[in-house]
Amino acid sequence: MQYFGSVLTLAGINMIMVIGLAVLVGYTGLFSMGHAGFMMIGAYTAVIFYKYLGVPFAVCILLSGVFSVIIGLVIGYPTMRSRLTGDQFAIAMMGFGEAIRMIVSNTEPVFNGALGISGFPKLTSLWVVTLLVALGLILMFNFIKSAYGKNCIAVREQEIAAEIMGVDIVKTKVIALAVSAFYVGVGGALFAFYMTFISPAMIAASKSSDLLAGVVFGGMGSISGPAIAGGALAILPEILRAFSTWRLVIYGVLFVVVMLFKPEGLLGYREISFKPVIRFFGRLFGKKTAAESVKTDNRNGGDADE
Amino acid sequence: MSLLEVKNLNVFYGGIQALRDVSLHVEKGEIVSIIGANGAGKSTFMRSVAGDQKYSGEIIYDGVQLPKESYKVVKAGISLVPEGRRIFPGLTVRENLMVGAYTRNDKKQIQEDMEEIFQLFPRLGERINQLGGSMSGGEQQMLAVGRALISNPRVLMLDEPSLGLAPIIVDELFDKILEINKKKDMTILLVEQNANLAMDVADRVYVLKTGSIVMEGTGVEMQNNEAVIESFLGQKKD
Ligand SMILES: Nc1ncnc2c1ncn2[C@@H]1O[C@H](COP(=O)(O)OP(=O)(O)OP(=O)(O)O)[C@@H](O)[C@H]1O
Ligand SMILES: [Mg+2]
Repeated sequence: MQYFGSVLTLAGINMIMVIGLAVLVGYTGLFSMGHAGFMMIGAYTAVIFYKYLGVPFAVCILLSGVFSVIIGLVIGYPTMRSRLTGDQFAIAMMGFGEAIRMIVSNTEPVFNGALGISGFPKLTSLWVVTLLVALGLILMFNFIKSAYGKNCIAVREQEIAAEIMGVDIVKTKVIALAVSAFYVGVGGALFAFYMTFISPAMIAASKSSDLLAGVVFGGMGSISGPAIAGGALAILPEILRAFSTWRLVIYGVLFVVVMLFKPEGLLGYREISFKPVIRFFGRLFGKKTAAESVKTDNRNGGDADE
Repeated sequence: MSLLEVKNLNVFYGGIQALRDVSLHVEKGEIVSIIGANGAGKSTFMRSVAGDQKYSGEIIYDGVQLPKESYKVVKAGISLVPEGRRIFPGLTVRENLMVGAYTRNDKKQIQEDMEEIFQLFPRLGERINQLGGSMSGGEQQMLAVGRALISNPRVLMLDEPSLGLAPIIVDELFDKILEINKKKDMTILLVEQNANLAMDVADRVYVLKTGSIVMEGTGVEMQNNEAVIESFLGQKKD
């Protein structure tokens, strides 16, 4: 039972980070290969403020997000300003992720270099994570519905047209990066306070691609898809543990299969909709519901631009 | 004083010069057409004015220098319907319009203007929650025009709005463009391959050839000009 709870907690933390990245990758169309850097920043910010400055845990979590955003703005503004193309941005972020890891690994004072920091309590519980997943989802859905969210989609689909219409492209992209940095930073803090120990090796470069895989897997242009995928991808390796050494192979094959048969990701451009359920019960009780005529929100128009 | 005055506009793509000392003026309330063959530089001109292309030279709008950043140009009151429409396929009709209204803050007025656009193009109003990408070519062009209109411009620029549309839809669209011009006293700068149509609706016409303005005149003058008939209408008139 305790094992079960531990898997769920890690899955929840992964969910928070993946939905954050979904805004940048899925909605705005900017691939990042370096978001593990923000996870690292979040983790160390929380631990340092808690352990050395005695700041309460809840405040530490918030500070992790805020610090990640600040660093995100510092690297985001110049990269967006200089109009890096998609692939250039992905590589620039990879450099950022590595740089953060190197800086932390080689800073002895405070960070304690490669040995990492220990000696702080386990404060991340399943309840805290569940609460933050719910909060994170609600805020994210609101962001996506707002004018900022629509601008993100406009920039992904028709950057030039969006610019011609007067949308501030740099600002839109920087906001998307900042939102993703906040979520991933918070995820990093929760992770550290779950492990009760943090070292640079625990947040390897491959974490960046794991998060990216969650977004691509869940659906580009969806929040609920990546949320599910983020959770599933954290749980899957545990389920496959029974197959011992073969599990990584199975994991890999599963990936290829999904990408072959559902290249747009599990949910593609859609969100989970409860309308069919409402309709079902409506019909069951002989009532006509407003949802009857409404189809699921299909956002799959991405290729028809002529 | 002209509402829009372009002086000696030059644009280079690497070593290639796409516009050579282009000078023209547009008066308030006018419809001005620019015609020219493929590659003449028509789109380059439009994108330069819209702030989407670096240029040298001067563009004076309403007596002052026009800014060179798109969002400032839109704010100043010049809006472009780009070549190939470029609507946002994954956003609904309403959301497409909302992006077009990005530079405005007056929520109530935006709502009223949206209603006005739906009166002009009833089909947009009927399809307010349909995704842009699933609309027909003609509907998408109307959406592109609506998206430019909702920024509340004084000058509406249209880059080949008839491209790829059936003749009957083209007629409908141009009726609307004339209506916008008359009812809202909106100044219109139009680029068209379809020279006949462009000259029909225009008060004045400029002919662009490999980056230079080679002719200028009223719509009627141009339609009777032998050189124009030969180079544009010869193949087109049916
Ligand atoms: N981004 C670019 N890079 C390099 N050359 C370009 C670019 N855009 C346009 N050109 C060139 O500049 C010239 C003018 O192009 P432009 O698109 O302005 O022509 P146009 O008059 O709009 O043609 P069309 O009627 O085919 O739309 C062409 O020779 C074109 O190849
Ligand atoms: Mg053109």
